[in-house]
Amino acid sequence: MTVPDILFAISAVAVALLSLCVVLARNPVRSTLLLILSFLPISLVYVLMQASFVAILQVMVYAGAIMMLFTFVIMMINPAPHAGEIPGEEPGAEPSRKSDVLWFALLALLGLVLIVPVRYAAVRMVAQPVTKPDFGGVQSMAQLIFTHPDHNPLTVSFELISILILVGVIAAVNFGRRQAHPTSGSATQANQLKDGNP
Amino acid sequence: MIGLNLANALTLSLVLVLIGAFGMLRRRSLILVLLSIEIMLNGANLALISFNFFLWGTSETGHYLYMLSIGVAAVEAAVGLAMVIVIFRNTRDVTRDRVSLLGETKAEAEA
Repeated sequence: MTVPDILFAISAVAVALLSLCVVLARNPVRSTLLLILSFLPISLVYVLMQASFVAILQVMVYAGAIMMLFTFVIMMINPAPHAGEIPGEEPGAEPSRKSDVLWFALLALLGLVLIVPVRYAAVRMVAQPVTKPDFGGVQSMAQLIFTHPDHNPLTVSFELISILILVGVIAAVNFGRRQAHPTSGSATQANQLKDGNP
Repeated sequence: MIGLNLANALTLSLVLVLIGAFGMLRRRSLILVLLSIEIMLNGANLALISFNFFLWGTSETGHYLYMLSIGVAAVEAAVGLAMVIVIFRNTRDVTRDRVSLLGETKAEAEA
């Protein structure tokens, strides 16, 4: 039992418990903050797997940027001053505990069925230990993506991500814009939605 | 005890995906559904990194795929949250049962 083994065991248990708390917490703000907290042990696991740059990305981009977006949106749409809950989500409106337990048991059974072949295959795969110097470092990854002519597909797909993000920005801005013409099609749909749910 | 090997890393990844699936199926708030999707993405990312570390130690292709996945996750969160804000603006409610009608009225959907 070496130090990485102990650290991995602790962080694995922490990740699983924190993620379970995220799913079970009644307060959405608490869920978001617990998810941010659960990213720290995952980042530790990445460090143990010599993925230092990925560990930094996990904390800076995922926990720092994406999760802050969630927190801001929850703050924006959470005007109820007393409950600390998103409006409409009264305690009685949640699915019952009994069917929660049923679904949990079903998914746990699915997990047990899946875990046996996964572990069976994993212990028989031919391990190829890390031989590359500076494995997972920033310089090493930049060379992988940008320098070698054989890796042109990596370069192109990396640049294509920027187009995906641009499309996402346009879509988000378009969604967020207030309707200029209240008689247009999407506004009518929105009114129908409102009428259907008094 | 839980040692650092491929089988245990993949087990943790599967556990994360199942916890995320549970949250996605059982929570009614749209924001919680999006959070559960983030948990599932984290499980997939963990599988990428562990496969790269244990089975492919000569290059960081899995790390690269992780970076692509984080880009997709960021776009998904931005568009999903924009949709949540629009739904909240129109109905003052962000539970997923309110957006399951696809433009029909409630009477039409129940007929």
